[in-house]
Amino acid sequence: MEALGHLLQGFAAALTPGYLLYAFTGCMLGTLIGVLPGLGPAAGTAILIPLTFSLDATGAIIMLCAIYYGAMYGGTITSVLINVPGEAASVVTCIDGHQMAKQGRAGSALGIAAIGSFVGGTLATVALVAVAMPLASLALKFGPAEFFALMVAGLCLVVGLAGNNMLAALLMTVIGLLFAMIGVDPVRGAPRFTFGVEELYDGIGFVPVVMGLFGVAELLLAAEKRQTHMVEAELKSWMPTRQECRQSVGAISRGTVVGFVLGLIPGVGAIVPTFMAYVLEKRVSKTPERFGKGAIEGVASAETANNAYANASMVPLLALGIPSSPTIAVLMGAFIVNGITPGPFLFKEQPALVWTVIASFFVGNALLLILNLPLVGLWAKLLKIPFSYMCAGVLIFCVIGAYGLKQSLFDVWVMLGFGILGYLLRKLDFPIAPAILALILGPMMEKSLRTTLEISGGSFGIFLDRPVALALLTIPVIVIAFLIFKPRSLAPLRESDIE
Amino acid sequence: MLMRRRTLLAATAAATVASPAMAQNYPRRAVQLVVAFPAGGSTDVGARILAAAAEKDLGQTITVVNKAGAGGQIGFTEVARARPDGYTLGFLNLPAVNTIILDPERKAAFNVDSFIPIVNQVLDPGLIWVKGDSPYKTLADLVDAAKKAPGKISACTTGILSDDHLAILMVQEVAKCEFRIVHFDGGAQQITGVLGGHVDCAFDNVGGVFKRVQSGEVRGLAVTDVERSKFLPQVPCTKELGMPTVISSSTRGVGAPKGTPADVVKVVETAFLKAIQSPEMLQKMDAVGLALKPMVGAEYAKYYADTQAQAKKYTEWALKQR
Repeated sequence: MEALGHLLQGFAAALTPGYLLYAFTGCMLGTLIGVLPGLGPAAGTAILIPLTFSLDATGAIIMLCAIYYGAMYGGTITSVLINVPGEAASVVTCIDGHQMAKQGRAGSALGIAAIGSFVGGTLATVALVAVAMPLASLALKFGPAEFFALMVAGLCLVVGLAGNNMLAALLMTVIGLLFAMIGVDPVRGAPRFTFGVEELYDGIGFVPVVMGLFGVAELLLAAEKRQTHMVEAELKSWMPTRQECRQSVGAISRGTVVGFVLGLIPGVGAIVPTFMAYVLEKRVSKTPERFGKGAIEGVASAETANNAYANASMVPLLALGIPSSPTIAVLMGAFIVNGITPGPFLFKEQPALVWTVIASFFVGNALLLILNLPLVGLWAKLLKIPFSYMCAGVLIFCVIGAYGLKQSLFDVWVMLGFGILGYLLRKLDFPIAPAILALILGPMMEKSLRTTLEISGGSFGIFLDRPVALALLTIPVIVIAFLIFKPRSLAPLRESDIE
Repeated sequence: MLMRRRTLLAATAAATVASPAMAQNYPRRAVQLVVAFPAGGSTDVGARILAAAAEKDLGQTITVVNKAGAGGQIGFTEVARARPDGYTLGFLNLPAVNTIILDPERKAAFNVDSFIPIVNQVLDPGLIWVKGDSPYKTLADLVDAAKKAPGKISACTTGILSDDHLAILMVQEVAKCEFRIVHFDGGAQQITGVLGGHVDCAFDNVGGVFKRVQSGEVRGLAVTDVERSKFLPQVPCTKELGMPTVISSSTRGVGAPKGTPADVVKVVETAFLKAIQSPEMLQKMDAVGLALKPMVGAEYAKYYADTQAQAKKYTEWALKQR
């Protein structure tokens, strides 16, 4: 109850006009960052840190958190409209979101994403208030061994549930993992597959790859068809219909749970919860064949999970001082620059500040909804721009995005290269998503496996000694067993397809 | 005639190298400060505080550009290859610069002479720490345990060939013990690793963990320095614990690519030194637990060279263990 009292005081502070303005500005800027491809939440937040230097500590934190949430939502807009995920969290949204836009349902997709984000974010913050402290210790239970097991389970679920296209999904996963090997060996520091090219030392950048595979490939396909518009269907809806909302209720609630739980574990990253939520939704759906062809549940689950994850990942930061993602690490740096060191002592030393910030999470989520719902129509109207202009615009957008990330021309070539590859893969009907998941998870899996083996002195027995890791590793075994023995209950699933 | 032409040539050459006009005009536009580590980290926080303060004296905007990756190699390469006109400065992390150069597998595109060390800002000494309720109360306890069970006590670093990694090797050398070395990526993973009971002890720097030591969440066993840290006066230093050769720290300062004109270097030195010595700088850096260690000119150059020599021995040793 003490927490509740603090929280009310926090609300009183967060709702003062000055702080409201900071939250509002933050949401606006964040959405803008999310819309600009290449400027993901981490880079965008980092760039905007100096903006907050002139504010007081609370104002600065409120604004930065609002930027973070805004950026998480902004990526959705480009994913739905032009099939360009601005950041990792929006990759899954592309799968059904852009299909919806092609059917003239861009408004529905963006609307449900805004609603889902709001619900997921708000519920996750409620959970944060209620259970943050006891659950925080969960983060510590996840050592390298457990982390590796979780990543393997995640990858297997996605590939295993890929349906009749499983061989293709497996192939794409392996290709993704191969690309993930490029760069400096994460333990020994020796370069691998870099061929003396210095830009490759840091590995293949994820953002140029997704912008190429999704965005550029989409442009090439559209150009080939000589489309007059990026999306040829009439715009049918501005808002989700009542039926669409009803369809999404279950997806939003499940997405919240998946996002929140995975958000508690440091280092998972936004892509895993969004993928997991999507796969889960498809699994429970009575009509899994609709997924990948514009199922609103697909968009709702991924977007909800994404924002629930974003809010839940504040738990390890505030309670333990552990930044769980690159963006959170940037936020933590900003906290420190503003004289606040996140960690267990923060709640004791500066309770007023912590609870004001938590209250501002609620405010930020609400503002985001208020700000974005009216804009949905405006965004959707962008699709009316003739293709000849749109194509050039999107391409410029992608080039700037790829270049801006590290101010490197190399990344632009990577993007264009993967654009052509993406075009070919789409022509051949290969699923792209598993490759991207593998590209992101590959380095994390490798590093955690090798750290685990360093801890155990080279023995794989460590996975048997750790109950959590062992439990997680049985998931892929079960999935594979099911696929080999093909029980009837899984039959509908295999006929569908993740992409 | 020949003589005169030569003199003229020499004079022209001298004028190009150190044109007084250049320094008068410098800086005429924004200056980039390349930080080789990601935004939000300890290095970045210090660099941003410094950039904001030095702007006033330099009279131009200083943009902090994070070029993170490969343990700093990407950013350092960028600095080494930049045009030496004073508009690209680099934040140099020692010994990270040295170990990259010394590791032949890394095929670094720069060497010791690629940078002009201008002014040092931070000296963050190493800290050996364990969980708050760990059975190891002192460094001697930890070392004894490692001696009794060679290769069984796990010690984690913030990365391969980082200053923390070298510090572990230094302790192993003088105490004749052997740790099981685990490489993490940065301080946050160390916290999860040690507090979660996955590894036994961590080697990091004072700045990253001093708040947790103060709160009792973790226990500092030793600061790897010749004197105690002002942020952790209760933690003994390695020198007083009889390990005077276990001296390791991470220092960060401003440097420029080779070939930057001497008078431009002087302008940079003056502006940054003034910022580092200001009272506000001390106050801000105290808040984040980073100790200032202003060094310029010959002193900083010597420090840079000494670090190189010290890093050489341990890097070679570490490479042999691969």
